[in-house]
Order: sequence, then structure tokens, then C-alpha cells
Amino acid sequence: MANRFGFKDLGIGIGLRTAHYPHILSKWPKIDWFEVLSENYMDTGGRPLYVLDQIAERYPVVLHGVSMSIGSTDPLNREHLRKLKALADRTKAHWVSDHLCWTGVLGRNTHDLLPMPYTEEALAHTIKRTKQVSEILERPLVLENPSSYVEFTESTITEWDFLARLAEGANCGLLLDVNNVYVSSFNHRFDPVAYIDAMPADRVVQYHLAGHTNKGTHIVDTHSDHAVDEVWDLYAQSCKRTGKVSTLYEWDDDIPAFDVVLAEAQKAAKFRDAVGKAIAPKPARAKTAARELSVAQ
Amino acid sequence: MKLPKLQRWLQAVVVHPGTTEEALKSPRASALLKPGQLESVMRPSKTLTAAQRIYIYQEMYPMRMRDALSSDYPALEHFLGDDFWDLVVAYTKKHPSMGYTLNRLGDHVPAFVGRQTKLKNRPFLQDLTRLELAVTEAFDSHEAPILRSEALDALGPAGLPKARLRPAPSLRLLSLSWNADAYLDSLRDEDHKHPKPKRVPSFVVIVRRNYSVYRFAVPESEFLVLVDLKAGKTIGKAVESALARRGKRRPSPEVFGTWFRQWTSQGLFSEIEGLQASRTKSKVV
Repeated sequence: MANRFGFKDLGIGIGLRTAHYPHILSKWPKIDWFEVLSENYMDTGGRPLYVLDQIAERYPVVLHGVSMSIGSTDPLNREHLRKLKALADRTKAHWVSDHLCWTGVLGRNTHDLLPMPYTEEALAHTIKRTKQVSEILERPLVLENPSSYVEFTESTITEWDFLARLAEGANCGLLLDVNNVYVSSFNHRFDPVAYIDAMPADRVVQYHLAGHTNKGTHIVDTHSDHAVDEVWDLYAQSCKRTGKVSTLYEWDDDIPAFDVVLAEAQKAAKFRDAVGKAIAPKPARAKTAARELSVAQ
Repeated sequence: MKLPKLQRWLQAVVVHPGTTEEALKSPRASALLKPGQLESVMRPSKTLTAAQRIYIYQEMYPMRMRDALSSDYPALEHFLGDDFWDLVVAYTKKHPSMGYTLNRLGDHVPAFVGRQTKLKNRPFLQDLTRLELAVTEAFDSHEAPILRSEALDALGPAGLPKARLRPAPSLRLLSLSWNADAYLDSLRDEDHKHPKPKRVPSFVVIVRRNYSVYRFAVPESEFLVLVDLKAGKTIGKAVESALARRGKRRPSPEVFGTWFRQWTSQGLFSEIEGLQASRTKSKVV
């Protein structure tokens, strides 16, 4: 096992999307696992849940959410967590993930992954809530690094140190989205390799890969294309530290045929195979927050 | 700025319709941070100002709302064309998403449309949105067993009038004054022949069976019996009420047998109320 939680390496999977239901239900394609968008199945008793039940019977499933709002200063939404746990139990989900972000306050939901300021205050707040969520879900929460387009002047910690300290402080897992690292490194001009190297490898339980849209002045995380070479390079680099870790390709806009998404996901195999069997995770690089923050600026 | 205040401020800016400059000056945002102090909170990048960076989020917010409403109200979007965008902006300002799911964002659309006095074809659009909302609700409703006609037969002549039927969770009954049903049908029309709004009363039943949503019109006399049964009247009382009606609203007494057989085959009811519970009880005893 490469990670400290004993979560299995599920291999290479793709995100379950409605557009692919007919293909999946008629062909039952050979694929290692599916990641399921939790909120799409929590409040329906209709066809989506029926399809999910069939898929969860045949493939390993992981739940991935977008509405936990772990960094919000609103109270945790207990109803959301109760339904999430019920869905995780129903699908025998291997783990449950969401994003390091907030989606709204004052009861409102923007349904966007809004960025956190990387401060000691925000870190303490997020650690506390992550612990509470893990307790309610009765499993360690897994958090994903977001892609972001703004930076707060008040941030005193780099995103990668924030994430590493959060994972340590809350004893949670990490879903390392390599495309998000690349997108944010472009938008905020930091070194993506420094980010990858700072991740506590034994807490990385899953990778995300995706395509994006380069607008010239900035990159938007659109999940609408093939991944660029730079993202594959970062993935390869990270695999050397983490060993073989469950890897998933996300494609959410202009979704092509199932086989196209699967073929893109399977490009990950050569990088995973290159690192061979699970290796002992290397410790995270020593903290150099102040220096890295000044580089990022 | 403390985290709660920072989040309230950023949210106020992101959800504000209009330019970022207008958003920063909006009462909600400017009460938390003076518009001229933006760069005290947010850094510019080498290529974008701080305001341009916020705009990336601000631009995506209404698009996300439009996508959610468009998926629940395709006929409304089709009918309004470019004006759909304005309706989305006005609607989400009044009824922002307050939950973890976008599935419920459109719940207030029919009532909202009904209040838009300047909206052309408002009564037609209100019927159309009621219909689309009912379809969405049926799609997402919980699955339940279907009542078989044999279960009704087993009640016998003495038991049948006293029985109450539990409606399928997906069952929706809509009395429409406009040809919204025909307009919704026309979305599937490859010739793109969409009817113009016209006052045509219709009585529509919506139900989900085998994970597909079905929609069909019934005569008013049948519709009214279904309304009574859904409201919890016993079969006997519903039949009695029907036979007391006049004109087209009064069915002939012979038709009830056919209706009940149709309704069970269409899956409109899930069980006979009380029967399940009493069976369970007797097993325990």
C-alpha cells in the first residue's frame, strides 16, 4: 500500500457522465473504476440512481463532491453529509472526496469552487471542519487541490504548504489534481514542481487529470480537452514520489465518446508502469514556505 | 480582513450581475470593502488586474445558473430564445440557490414567471413551466412498487369502496389552460413546427414507470377522480363525487372498471393504504 489509509490502487478510471450511460449499460466496458459526482445522485430516486446501482455492482466506485464547502464559514450542512454517507454506504464507495474550497456563505450556494485565503486562520478553520466531516462520514475525507484564478494579499502560506499542513492536521487524504496544479501555477506564476514535491506522498490516494483552456492571459480549468504534455510530465514526476495511485481522467465539457475519454485516461498507464510496484513514499520536502511564497509573487 | 467577512464580500461580488466595477460598488459588496480598496485584498497577476481576475468567477456564475435552469426548462428556453438569459439573471437574483444541489434551483420558476407582468404570453409560460417542473419532479421522485389490478380485485365488492390508494411518488396531475403540453411535445418535432400559444384546456397526468417519465392527457371527468384519489379520498367517496357532477365532468358509471384497470397498468398507484401495514402487523403477532 502506498498510502497510509490503506486505500487500494484502483488503477485507471474515468468520471461517470450521463452522456456515457447508454455505452456503459450496453457494453459494460473494461475499465478499472468510476468516479461519481455525489450531488447528482443524492436527491434522486430515479434513473440516475438506478444506473449508479448497476454500475456500483460491477465496478469499484469513488464518490467525488462539489458542494461540501469545507472552507466556508457557514455551519456544516448536516443533511448533505447524512445523504453523502448514505450514498457512500449504498455504493460501497472506496473513499469520498471533495475540494479545498468554499462554495457559498449566508446559506447561499454559488456552485463554484471559490478559493481560500491561505492564512493560519483559514487553515485552523479548515482542519477543524475536515475532522468533523471525517467523523460524520466515518471515513477519512479526501480533499482535492482546486484550480484558482485569484490570489489574496493576506495569504501567508503557499497553497502546497497549506494543503500539506491541512492533510497532516486533519489526518485526511489528498486527491492531487495535476491539471489544477498546472492551471494555478500558470495563473499565479509558481513552480508546479515545487508544489508536487511538497505533497505528503503517503496521503495522496488519488490523481485527477484533465484538459483545460488556455486564454493567453490565464488558463481556465474547463475539463474539455486532452491533457497537455506539461500535465503528463507533472503526473510522471509525481508518480515517482507516490508510486502507483488510483488515477482518474475528467472530461466534463464537449464530452466525446466513451472510448475517447478512456483512451486519454489510459495514457496514464505508461507513467504508472514506469514507477513499477508501489514504492515507499518519500517524505514531503522540507517547508520553505516563505521562500516559495516570495517566488510565487 | 477576517475569513467570514472576506467570504461574504467575495460572494457578493461574484453573484452580482453586471460588470465587476458595478459589483464592487454594489451595496452588499461596498459595505464590506470600499471599491477602491480591491488591491488591498486581491493581487493582480502579471497579465490581469485584480478586477479582471474576479471577473473570471463572476462571468461563470450566471452561466452555471443558466445551464441548470436550461436543463430543467428546455421548452421555456426554446420559447424565450435570447430573452431566457434575462429571465435567468432576474430569477436567480430573487431565488438564488440555497442548497447543495442545483436540482432544486428551478422550483420557483412557475411562480416567478406568473409574477412577471411585463412578460409576453405570461399565462401560457406559467402553464409551460408548471408542466416542465412536474416532469422534473417525476424524474427525480423515489421509486415505489406498482399496485397491481389483482390487489384491487382481491378487496371484493365490500372492501373496494372503503379502500384508499397511495399514489405513485412520481404522480403529478396538472390542469392546464393553455396548449403547453403540445408545445412541449413539439420540442421533439424534427420539422420544428412549434404551436403558437393558444387557450386550450387540458388535463395532464405525469408518471414515471421503469425509470421513464410518461405524460398523457385524460378527460376532465377522469382527471377529477384521480385528483380525489390522490388527495386521499376512499374509492367509494371518489366515485360518489364523480357521479354527483354534471355534464362532461360526470363519467358514466360503467367506465370506472376500465379506468382502474388502466390506472394500475399505467402505474399511477403504488399500494392500497393500510393494507401493507396491517399485513406486517399480523405477521408480527
